[in-house]
Amino acid sequence: MDAQTATEDAAESLLCLLLARPENVPEMNLLVMKKILKSGCTPLVVTVNKPCKVLAKMYEKEGISPDSYYVIDAVTQYSGGVCIPGSRVKYVTNPSNLTDLGIAITELLKKMPAGKKCIMFDSVSMLLIHIPSVTASKFLHFVVTKLKLTDVSGVFLCAEKGLDPVILSQMSSFVDHITDFEKIGADTCIL
Amino acid sequence: MQEQGTDMPEKKGLIEGGAVGEAGPVDLFRTVFERIQTAILVIDPAAHRIVDVNPLMESLTGFGRDQLLGSTCHGFVCPARFGECPVTDLHRDTLNAEREIINANGKRVPVLKTVAKAEIGGREYLVESFTDITDRKRAEERQLALIAFLSESILRARKPLEIMQQDFEQLAAQAKSGDYDAEEIRMQLQVHANNLRQILTNIEDLQKKALEGRSDEIPPEFREFFKRT
Repeated sequence: MDAQTATEDAAESLLCLLLARPENVPEMNLLVMKKILKSGCTPLVVTVNKPCKVLAKMYEKEGISPDSYYVIDAVTQYSGGVCIPGSRVKYVTNPSNLTDLGIAITELLKKMPAGKKCIMFDSVSMLLIHIPSVTASKFLHFVVTKLKLTDVSGVFLCAEKGLDPVILSQMSSFVDHITDFEKIGADTCIL
Repeated sequence: MQEQGTDMPEKKGLIEGGAVGEAGPVDLFRTVFERIQTAILVIDPAAHRIVDVNPLMESLTGFGRDQLLGSTCHGFVCPARFGECPVTDLHRDTLNAEREIINANGKRVPVLKTVAKAEIGGREYLVESFTDITDRKRAEERQLALIAFLSESILRARKPLEIMQQDFEQLAAQAKSGDYDAEEIRMQLQVHANNLRQILTNIEDLQKKALEGRSDEIPPEFREFFKRT
């Protein structure tokens, strides 16, 4: 797929698996966050990589207000950090706690104001540390189904070649698009 | 041109060379039938009844000759149902095809099966030969387990490690700049320390599963993918 096609396809996407080189994953998070906000969606960031406190600081440096997004944080407790309660954040004990992660997604989506919403999952690659690939695939299928039923968009970040062909083929059957981050131009709309 | 050495007894075969003596060709072929290291069933295709078996067929199935002779083949040693005989009903060629037979314990034994039609005494029979490939299947399952668990080990370690390496470099740069929050740095280091411990646990678990050949834990999707490729 060339960059132009990727751009056009991505513009129509509701659910997207976004692949990037590992060194570009943090940059991908920030860029996707900006694009979600630009598209008029309210972002719900699900992080299994960086604590929300770290993310918040990273976003703030880029002019993204903490009042403009919601977070499900599965690593602060895992790191022994303090979980500061807030109406826009939910904590899960650790990334392998898929039951609580699923519940938190459902609850926070309900709590978010009406309008366009978009989940950004950071990242599928890091989730694989905590659960087998087959379980990860089932969980992501569950999340995608939930998003489709509630008409919520989703962008799943993943390191390129970080999925084996079996999972990639399964993922491709339940997301709308698989897109290379490096092939997307700065002006491309992800959603 | 006449072939060289055709007058030599060893070039004429046992029967024409007269080596079978008074015993005759019937005894020769009976001996071969009984000693050959391939299990053989002779079937009457009209009635689907077993009319002869060799000793290796008895040991392959676990049924005695008396139990086998006169029995219908389908549902007994052959998993096919009545009316669905692959040879007489479905007219499929069976030449070294991977199939299963049912043994006396009700277990399915993987075999290579060949069926040949043969006319004996003016009647048509099916000569079915079977080679037990249980060991080969076991080796294939073990190979599948090794590849599957190795693939899963790499998948669950390599990219996460690359992402973590990037994070460590960022943390080092932050520390060098002096512009950092100590608790944030600690949290991120602790997350990655926990991640590294988890990756090591994963690798140990997967290595154990691979060495034990636990192919039953391989997802069917991976099995299908492996077969296709």
